[in-house]
Amino acid sequence: MSEPSVIEENKSHVLHHFIDSDQQFEASKLGMWVFLVTEILFFGGLFAAYIVYRAWYPDLYLQASEELNTFWGAVNTAVLIGSSLTVAMAIRSAQLNQIKGLITNLYITIGLALTFMVIKYFEYAHKFEIGILPGSYYSYEGIAHEKANIFFSIYYMMTGLHGIHVLIGIGLMIWLVVKAKKNVLHSGYYTPVEITGLYWHLVDVIWIFLFPLLYLID
Amino acid sequence: MATEESKANVKRVQVKRFKPEEYPEKHYLNQETGLWAWLTTVDHKKIGLMYLMSVAFFFFIGGMLALLIRTELLTPARTFMDADVYNQVFTLHGAIMIFFFLIPSVPAALGNFILPLQLGAKDVAFPRLNLASFYIYVIGALFTITAIFTGGVDTGWTFYTPYSATTGGSVMMMTMGVFILGFSSILTGLNFIVTIHKLRSPGITWNRLPLNLWGLYATSIIQILATPVLAITLLLLTMERALGIGIFDPALGGDPVLYQHFFWFYSHPAVYIMIVPGFGIISEVISTFSRKVIFGYWAIALSSLAIAFIGFLVWGHHMFTAGQSSLASMVFSFLTFLVGIPTGIKIFNWLATMYRGSIDMKTPMLYAMVFLFLFTIGGFTGIMLGALSVDVHLHDTYYVVAHFHYVMMGGMVMAFLAGLHYWWPKMFGRMYSEFWAKLSCGLVFIGFNMTFLPQFIMGAQGMPRRYFNYIDQFQSFHQFSTLGAYVMGVAFFIMAGYLFHSLRKGKRAAANPWGSRALEWQTSSPAPLHNFEHTPVIINGPYDYHKPMSEFQLGIATPHNDHHADENVSHTESEKEQV
Amino acid sequence: MSGHHISSAKFLWSVAISLFTLTFITVAVTWIQIPEPWNVVVAISIAVVKALIVAAFFMNLYWDSKFNVMLFIMSVVFFGLLIGITLLDTMYRTDPIPSF
Repeated sequence: MSEPSVIEENKSHVLHHFIDSDQQFEASKLGMWVFLVTEILFFGGLFAAYIVYRAWYPDLYLQASEELNTFWGAVNTAVLIGSSLTVAMAIRSAQLNQIKGLITNLYITIGLALTFMVIKYFEYAHKFEIGILPGSYYSYEGIAHEKANIFFSIYYMMTGLHGIHVLIGIGLMIWLVVKAKKNVLHSGYYTPVEITGLYWHLVDVIWIFLFPLLYLID
Repeated sequence: MATEESKANVKRVQVKRFKPEEYPEKHYLNQETGLWAWLTTVDHKKIGLMYLMSVAFFFFIGGMLALLIRTELLTPARTFMDADVYNQVFTLHGAIMIFFFLIPSVPAALGNFILPLQLGAKDVAFPRLNLASFYIYVIGALFTITAIFTGGVDTGWTFYTPYSATTGGSVMMMTMGVFILGFSSILTGLNFIVTIHKLRSPGITWNRLPLNLWGLYATSIIQILATPVLAITLLLLTMERALGIGIFDPALGGDPVLYQHFFWFYSHPAVYIMIVPGFGIISEVISTFSRKVIFGYWAIALSSLAIAFIGFLVWGHHMFTAGQSSLASMVFSFLTFLVGIPTGIKIFNWLATMYRGSIDMKTPMLYAMVFLFLFTIGGFTGIMLGALSVDVHLHDTYYVVAHFHYVMMGGMVMAFLAGLHYWWPKMFGRMYSEFWAKLSCGLVFIGFNMTFLPQFIMGAQGMPRRYFNYIDQFQSFHQFSTLGAYVMGVAFFIMAGYLFHSLRKGKRAAANPWGSRALEWQTSSPAPLHNFEHTPVIINGPYDYHKPMSEFQLGIATPHNDHHADENVSHTESEKEQV
Repeated sequence: MSGHHISSAKFLWSVAISLFTLTFITVAVTWIQIPEPWNVVVAISIAVVKALIVAAFFMNLYWDSKFNVMLFIMSVVFFGLLIGITLLDTMYRTDPIPSF
């Protein structure tokens, strides 16, 4: 005898070249992990430049780091960790078919991400005021080291690229909210939330390394 | 055995033989027709063909640029172009051939077409991403073409700083073009990795995976690990030009050798992206046309992975004379010797496959033979260049130019042509003229050696590369080389001729004209829209020529999820799970 | 769907709290003077622990297929190769003139 093995599922999301929903989900997750590998190597190049120059000019890094505000850097770290929590809660909501919870958590995540960008904006604005600009526009006199522009070039590249990734993440989450409101997402199909969550966690991990490397050089 | 979470029924399904339809009425080329259908297709076969047309186009452009270079070098001084123009021409020749032809050629053009067929899958894992990666390639190409017409680039394809950060011309446009193109490469690699992991047909275990797919798998791993570093390097170079970031330019406090480290961290593995898929094709072709099981399956499969890994450790051999520390140079030189070993293993395994085989010297096999000969020369000379003390004299001479043309053109292009001629019937359902194909192959071989063999000698005698002028003693070498280039040009025109002719007038192809055991040949030629009308079931290895063909045509009839929903799963009985 | 790990809210919150704590420790550690190069080692070690916690318990690698774990580790390994071998050059340039 055969019993009905699963509740009658909404299968409209399964694409024709996949056998079932699980295969599609696992494939998407694997695909996102492969993409995260490329992101790690992408940022890795910048970390490599950082390390090479820090090994050559340790004093420069010491002095320059004092221009970065440790407090706001720590706040931003907490903000991103919080956003990782809320995006994990969003996934959990989707897994439990709590669509309202999903949308709420997504909104909070977006809010925290925007907070991060606002703090970043103020940090950059302050630096621009005193002449700490990237590359050949650098005009700050406060650091007695001839290579000061290099530290800040690296700073702007790393935090700037990271900031772009935060913005992209915000865009993705808005897209998820739209999908959730259209009732496309449910406990049988929440793949977009899962893979956006993975992306967002990586953005958090990168900042986890940026914070001590840039702000906490004592 | 039990799967805990569901009340599993064991379904017995009927496996039967599905003989491929010969000369099908409907196939992927005449279903979903029209320009819009092509431009919006998510069918990997059509995407593969669009890539094929694009890479062929760029090969033509790059080839024309090569002829311009060689024509200019007929005389020691100015022949018909100025030095500035000459710099732009060789820069473009390199950038186009490498980024727009070689890197995508096998993975994106042939690989996209063949990979799902060899896996018994209906498509790659992410078909829409596949289409996106094609359009990203196109956009990158447009940026590059714009760069050509808005000032050109004269830095060499390597864009070394500080020259590239300070020279005029459209460097940023071209670096952005290549940056964008890198994403195309990454997405293709991503798609292939997930497809090979998740969409294999029943019975295709890792030890039954065709070596072509092992090659594409290893290539995809390199693509996803190396290309992002190129991306960040080009981004940093662009920022260097735009904002004066200063990490590569000594005038701004930076280090130009650091640029070379970043650049070659990608660009050395990139040469393995270019060649490893070719190795995969050679395995397929040699086995098919020797009608014999491949010798040392695991040796070849694992050597692809070994090349992928070791290839990441040797990039500094491009920088022996750049000002790198002696310690690093010595380490890189030693590691470079290691990277030749897996390749050597493959060459011996291919020869052993042919030994006592039943050789059928059709065009793909002829190209494979040409490959073996030319690539071996290229590979040996690479090892010679890897010897630190020797490289000090040979760096930036024509010896290097000859070496890399032997591996990239004598190796990769020949493998690509072998693959193109091998899978032509599957792609278009037509056979080309063996006579003209073999003639063209012979001309390519002769022309190639005429062009590049003298360059080894010139280089060893001191002729520098990228030089517009040269001293009189090299003129006869250059002239002979140029003659060879024109012979090759003629050969390629003949090739274009008979290939296009075959599309209309060629003999219609059988499903399996070569008698191969591989899965892509167990479906009709040209391939059906959804690749297979059943789910293939594999019970043998892909090179088991001692088994009858019928054992390679087994499958289960399954309904598609969306289309043809009226088909039933045919299963004879179902039983409750016995725990 | 089968095989999808669902973490409890309590668990997720405790992960977050451990991360906040480690962040505080990261900052607090800079108030103590640790000699070079150990200050860097400590800072990076804490960051690595935080990253592993995020990877294992937020990104669910702890319950995920081993291949995804391997991908993550491989990317770090190759990043290590990029830095390590580059430093073999940049840290050891002693020849004022090339020795050949």
